[in-house]
Amino acid sequence: MNYPPHHGWQVLFWGCCAWPASDYSTGGTNGSREHVLSFGRRTVEQIISPIALYSVCVLGGLGVALALPRRDQRLQILGGIIFAAALGVAALALGLKASEAGGLPNFFFYPFAIVGLGASVRMVTHPRPVYSALYFILTIIASCGMYLLLSAEFMAFALVIIYAGAILITYLFVIMLAMQAPTSTKEELLDETDAVAREPVLAAALAFILLGLLTTAMFRGIGEVHPAGDPRTAQNSVLQYLPAKVDKILRRADMIDEDERVLRLADGTASVDAATGAITIENTDLHTTRLITADEWPENLGASNLDRLGFNLMHDHPMTIEIAGIILLMAMLGATVLARKHTEFEDDLKASHARRLGLDGSVNTNAGGQR
Amino acid sequence: MDAVLTLAQLSFPEPTGDAMLAHYLFVSAAMFVIGLVGFVTRKNMIVMFLCTELMFQGAGLALIAFGRHHLGQDGQTFVIFVLCVAAAEAAMALALVVLLFRHRESLSAEAWKDLQG
Repeated sequence: MNYPPHHGWQVLFWGCCAWPASDYSTGGTNGSREHVLSFGRRTVEQIISPIALYSVCVLGGLGVALALPRRDQRLQILGGIIFAAALGVAALALGLKASEAGGLPNFFFYPFAIVGLGASVRMVTHPRPVYSALYFILTIIASCGMYLLLSAEFMAFALVIIYAGAILITYLFVIMLAMQAPTSTKEELLDETDAVAREPVLAAALAFILLGLLTTAMFRGIGEVHPAGDPRTAQNSVLQYLPAKVDKILRRADMIDEDERVLRLADGTASVDAATGAITIENTDLHTTRLITADEWPENLGASNLDRLGFNLMHDHPMTIEIAGIILLMAMLGATVLARKHTEFEDDLKASHARRLGLDGSVNTNAGGQR
Repeated sequence: MDAVLTLAQLSFPEPTGDAMLAHYLFVSAAMFVIGLVGFVTRKNMIVMFLCTELMFQGAGLALIAFGRHHLGQDGQTFVIFVLCVAAAEAAMALALVVLLFRHRESLSAEAWKDLQG
């Protein structure tokens, strides 16, 4: 079947609009809307059955509402168990459906997802801020695992360094700076602020209704997301900008001689054909050229995640980097101004400081007397 | 066992199925929602800002999953910018928390009830 191309947001929009009224599509004259509707229904049933999805939302909401900080710890434990059950149902429903459709993610996805979501719930429900921060580090590490599975190696390690290494340490510092009166280890003696949540049932109900809507809309739109472009073409167009790297790998693989190198085009890019992957090699002495076709490529010739990410960052989004730099600069200035301590000095203290620095009138009169 | 041992990046240029994208989107939406619950219910200002970081995490996971689905890099690039904004937000928010704590000697958001309109 041939579907017209759609943007993801259009699909989400129409998926949301058309969802409650099934006869909406018959009245519409727009053909693409009907496509989205029929295709969307098929996809959501392929991925997860609606009953399982909504029972996961209900169970999860109930679990989180009970697990939020409250005086009765037994209810919290019960909430944790219910939430764990919801996670199990979600994993089973998603996994069973996906194995039917043949698109199961890597096995490691399930432990990472369960650890990540479990730790994030514990972070939200733990009455002590320090433990919340530590559980958040666990969430970060679990999502790093998922980034690795999604072949985003650089971002995974950047996340550990920036989040777990820098941002969370700042949080821990502030928690310790702004520590309230020390309490004993008994939870009952905790400050009211941390020990009791505000409106847990209402918040959890609304939030998990949002989760149900979000997942429904997303799963409806998923089948219409653009298919991936040809990855080889994208990789070759990055390799064009890395002539030295192509040279080095070909030379290591003994595919070019000492007096040969990859042909540079007029703008300095390597002559790698984006569509076919054919590399033109020139002999610098004899000024002859020959071709290395994509079949002959050495195994390790290719743009790594870091190559492609850096290229994308610097080539396609240079203005965004400038904006990010300005945001960080402003945040630094703002944080410095906000956190500065305004100290009040007594008048005589100010006067004595001024005298020591030679800023007040007495120094001047002395100087005048000597003259 | 092969399926267990093969990490996804070994098969990088291969496009992934819709069901796999759905898995990651579900986790990211759940993370976002849990962060939202925490932000609304907790009274401690530091924990509230931690919960916004959790929401950033959910958004970042969705970006990376879509990037993997399209075999493009834009998703990862935007996660870098999300990290930037998260760092800026953490710096500002924590400075603000320290400032507010100095005024009321309390981290509770309810200590600032009188700010309501």
